[in-house]
Amino acid sequence: MSETALVDRRWIERGAERASTMRFLLWLFPWVCLLLLGVYAAGLCFYYGLNQTNMDNRFAFGLWIFLDLTVIALGAGAFFTGFLVYILKQQDLKPVLNSAVVIGLTCYSGAVAVLMVDVGQPLRAWFTFWYPNTHSMLTEVTFCISCYLLVLVLEYIPVLVKNRQLRRVPSFLVFEHQAHKLVPVLAGVGAFLSFFHQGSLGGLYGVLRGRPFAYRQGFMIWPSTFFLFILSAIAVGPSFLMLVVATAEKITGQKLVDFRVYRKLGFISGVMLAIYVAAKAIDTYVWLNVTSPSMGFGPWDYYSYWPLSSTFLFTATVPLGLLPAILFIVPRTARHRGLLLLAAALTCCGVALNRFVMTVQTLALPTLPFDPFLKYTPSWQEVATFGAVVAYGVIVYSLSYRYLPMFEAMKGE
Amino acid sequence: MKFSRRDLLIGTVGITAGIAFTPVPWKLLGDASIWTQNWPWIPQPSHGPVETKLSACALCVAGCGMRVRMAAGFPVGVSGVTTNPVTQGALCPLGFAAHQLNWHPARLLTVRHNGRASSWPEAQAAFAKTCAEGPVAVIDGRPGRAASATLEVFAAKHNGSYQAVSGPETNALVPYAAWSEVPVSALGYDLENARTIVSFGAPLLDGWGTPGRFTRLWSERAAGQINPQLRLIQIEPSLSHTAARAWRWVAVREGTQSALAAALARVLVEEHLVKTQGPLPDMTLEQAAVQAGIPITAIRDLAHAMVECAPTVVITSDSDPTVSALNVLLGAIGTPGGIVLKTKMNQQHGSVPAAPATVRATVIDGTVPWDLIPPTQGEVFRFAAWDGGGSNADWLLPSPGFLEELTDIPTAPTSSIETYTIATNLLAQPQETQTAAQFFSKLDGTLPDVDKSIHARCEQIFQAKLGTIYAGKPTPVAQFTSGAKLEAQLRNGSVWLGESPRHTTLRCALKTWPTAAAPAPVTDWTATWAPPVLPLLAAKLYQESTLRDAPGRSQA
Amino acid sequence: MSARYGMVIDLDRCTGCGACMIACAAENNVSPPEPRATWRTGITPMVVRALSNGKDGTDRREAFIPITCMHCEHETPCVSVCPQQAVEFDKSTGIVMQMPQRCLGCRYCMTACPYHARYFNWWDPQWPPGMEKSLNPGVSVRMRGVVEKCNLCHSRYHDALQKAAAAGKKEIDVADYVPACVEACPTGAIQFGDLADPKDPATIAAKSPDAFRLLEAIGTEPKIHYKTTQAWIRALADRQSDRPTEAPHV
Repeated sequence: MSETALVDRRWIERGAERASTMRFLLWLFPWVCLLLLGVYAAGLCFYYGLNQTNMDNRFAFGLWIFLDLTVIALGAGAFFTGFLVYILKQQDLKPVLNSAVVIGLTCYSGAVAVLMVDVGQPLRAWFTFWYPNTHSMLTEVTFCISCYLLVLVLEYIPVLVKNRQLRRVPSFLVFEHQAHKLVPVLAGVGAFLSFFHQGSLGGLYGVLRGRPFAYRQGFMIWPSTFFLFILSAIAVGPSFLMLVVATAEKITGQKLVDFRVYRKLGFISGVMLAIYVAAKAIDTYVWLNVTSPSMGFGPWDYYSYWPLSSTFLFTATVPLGLLPAILFIVPRTARHRGLLLLAAALTCCGVALNRFVMTVQTLALPTLPFDPFLKYTPSWQEVATFGAVVAYGVIVYSLSYRYLPMFEAMKGE
Repeated sequence: MKFSRRDLLIGTVGITAGIAFTPVPWKLLGDASIWTQNWPWIPQPSHGPVETKLSACALCVAGCGMRVRMAAGFPVGVSGVTTNPVTQGALCPLGFAAHQLNWHPARLLTVRHNGRASSWPEAQAAFAKTCAEGPVAVIDGRPGRAASATLEVFAAKHNGSYQAVSGPETNALVPYAAWSEVPVSALGYDLENARTIVSFGAPLLDGWGTPGRFTRLWSERAAGQINPQLRLIQIEPSLSHTAARAWRWVAVREGTQSALAAALARVLVEEHLVKTQGPLPDMTLEQAAVQAGIPITAIRDLAHAMVECAPTVVITSDSDPTVSALNVLLGAIGTPGGIVLKTKMNQQHGSVPAAPATVRATVIDGTVPWDLIPPTQGEVFRFAAWDGGGSNADWLLPSPGFLEELTDIPTAPTSSIETYTIATNLLAQPQETQTAAQFFSKLDGTLPDVDKSIHARCEQIFQAKLGTIYAGKPTPVAQFTSGAKLEAQLRNGSVWLGESPRHTTLRCALKTWPTAAAPAPVTDWTATWAPPVLPLLAAKLYQESTLRDAPGRSQA
Repeated sequence: MSARYGMVIDLDRCTGCGACMIACAAENNVSPPEPRATWRTGITPMVVRALSNGKDGTDRREAFIPITCMHCEHETPCVSVCPQQAVEFDKSTGIVMQMPQRCLGCRYCMTACPYHARYFNWWDPQWPPGMEKSLNPGVSVRMRGVVEKCNLCHSRYHDALQKAAAAGKKEIDVADYVPACVEACPTGAIQFGDLADPKDPATIAAKSPDAFRLLEAIGTEPKIHYKTTQAWIRALADRQSDRPTEAPHV
């Protein structure tokens, strides 16, 4: 690559191969446009109010809550990889650790940003911290996500200050060196916080005794969805991480990590997924045969509405649950890069579908016997804001990849 | 000392961390929240003591007693008056938002002439000119008021005509008035003594008559009972609110009520279910059944059900004489539980001079319902407090709005007992407004004054010593020591209830079965309660819920 | 000494006139609807729904059911889920109180409520110029972005308390506390009373064999009871014994 094409070469690791500045800007341009469109949509919501969305009193939660739940599950790779590397000492996963942190940071900060647009009175967001309700799962979610976002920022800063120019500031170097000692602690704290908020996101729905479709019994104060959400988050985290790194490899044309890393991530994902599928099957059985009938609702109350028939249940567990688990675990298929990545994609889709079912389908299903099955389509403002979060993630990851030593395997000081 | 980049960095970090320990960020957070709780564009209710006053709603002929909560001189809430003997605390659904009507976007507060803003002096001058040029027709939407006397006298003095418009409930009594040769205003329904009521489309539980009267009666005697003491048979094409709660709903094809009435008449007479022998319709039972689209067995069942629990009365939704004639067969005219003669206390207006062939101008009083477009001639001067839209009147003249006009409430059309209330204006009449009576009085100072007319009526009631005043507790009129005391009670929201109807046998001259009249236009629920415009909150009933259909007429 | 205010609504008496809906909106300073508001985005703390037995022709039966906040007594779903305690169960009255000034607008309570009795301010409330003079001083006006619902006309309870206190009494006079919907009903279909008082007529009506509650099996112990002699309505409400074969009329 000719030196003149890299206008920002001072910021790039010496010797690292990067696209020309022009090409990079061209890559960023559509994502920036998408981001700006989403910011405009969010601005409309702040100015005019939430009537800009298609949410209503029956669909009080819509596309944005689905987005929040899904990105937080996908971003679980951050805490789980950290946990695996620092607590369980799986050093061979170190190359993807920084990626996981960036993914986590963008997922969580994007989710928090969307939440600020989603609530009717964002300036009162601090009320949850000042008047917390210890009985509410949402209080727990708010506290843990805020703290975990702070943890992610603290985990990201050491990566950020490794930048070629920022490294030259001595205090940054000192900070980065000190921070290294903190990282295992952060990883432990992150794992602890994540355990709770991933679970509480599931708990949000499991405690809804007014929604028999979502309501579950469980252990002590936690409904079974608490544990199921943790399991599915842990299962999908490595999968999403794998997909992002593979996509980065494809776009940059560089080999960033060894295939063994993929296989390891896949294997972990597969095992967790298999456990999840088993747990989910038991949970569904108990729910459909014991919990739900005791509240006066049978399966026909949930699965008689087109298009959400029992196909949905089947789709969630077999093609998007059991199948990827098998592909990940069985060596013959796990050896194959294409099948591995397909399994990762299926897992991500499966978890997204599960989040959709818990948010949107819960609200679509009637509770009162004379209510109809309801439909909801997000407005363009909601879709644009969703797009902005995706764009934000791509932009931050792209910038991080270009200017920071994300992968240990890269040469250069 | 050299200020380096490092110092800047440390300083920035230090200040940021330090600020967290000062009250500044927390105060800003708190202030931001308080700001969200006190947005200047969100209106605040008034402060100050709330007092309760009594008056009556003058938006339609029912004249329901109203309890009005006032704060800072304006009404902030209304409810019914539980001690009112007719309404028993009820109001129509729209009445509960009546206190907001004076600020309805359609409120008329400027004189308009052919779409342009004008003024009262201009209107007065134009009217004076037309009066001088020829006769004037006056149309009154609520006859029998004190103001009506002013309108009538004016019309008589200026060789004009006075005409009262009547709603569907009054129209339904027209056939009986014609057959018995008594004024329509003298008739009423003695529902309290009926045991079976057969309604041909009259929305008895959903807007018919004075709110509260029949709904309470039905609630006590029929609701939820398998063998009710009061049987309501509702005959209409669709399952209306009334039909859904009726003891029986009979579904008829649209426009075939005459045929069904004819069929029922045949069965009642031929199977000796009634005492009289006729008159009978020309149609045979078979022909009538086919037209009505109901099997003969069902018609027979219905006829039997009608007479099983006497007395029975038939109530129609319009002036179709072919259905009203059933009451003649049932012997429901002038008998308990049927159509009765109200004990006449207040003198209604005398005979009305015949309308001249052509009129120079027409004056439409503010009490005429907006969607009722009376046939008009000449220059049209229409009084209204709200511009319902689509008017072709030459002059739109703003009249007083809700609780802004001192007026009185004569007996409601369907009532079997005379009543009298005074709707005291709890708000000052806006200077931009005039009533038609006031408008006429400016031209002719000799016309009867409304306030004085009301005083005279109270005096009349006192002198007659009949009936009861319902305030907190009922007091017979005979116990009042002065007309002034009685009047004071009436001005304070009390109601005078006259004597129970004498069940005089009305002479009913019906020799032949009537011929069918033209079918009445189909109206929707907004026509049964007839405020000039729907209060804005009425949209809760159709826009923000699925309870009712959107109104057919425009709402300006 | 604690009261448990609730209602028994006689569905045989409800004619679906909607007077309760308008009286409630007027009492609670609910604004006239935005032009774009529908039954899913409007604010109707009291709403009357139409029910039918799903049949056609002369077999068709219809009824009307007023739905409002049920003031759930047991493990009130909305109270436990609000992250900043903007919903409170008042132990002295049994009323579930919503505090719009505390509300963040997260709408979690709305997903929790099985009766769909909670409404969000999707728009800022607006009145035509001058109409704010007709606002009820006893009830605060909300703003956009917060949830609201029926408070059993708590301001009227407050007025009754003040009246009793002025007369030197500790307990309110039952006749002084009548919610707007109860007062407005022209057939007297809504009976209001203290369900904790065994002698209260509402309590006695709630125990009648014709009485039922919506979604009883969920176990929220709603304090709004319904009563009807019509078996098809009870069958519709009781999900376990019967399910309509077609989508009911809404």
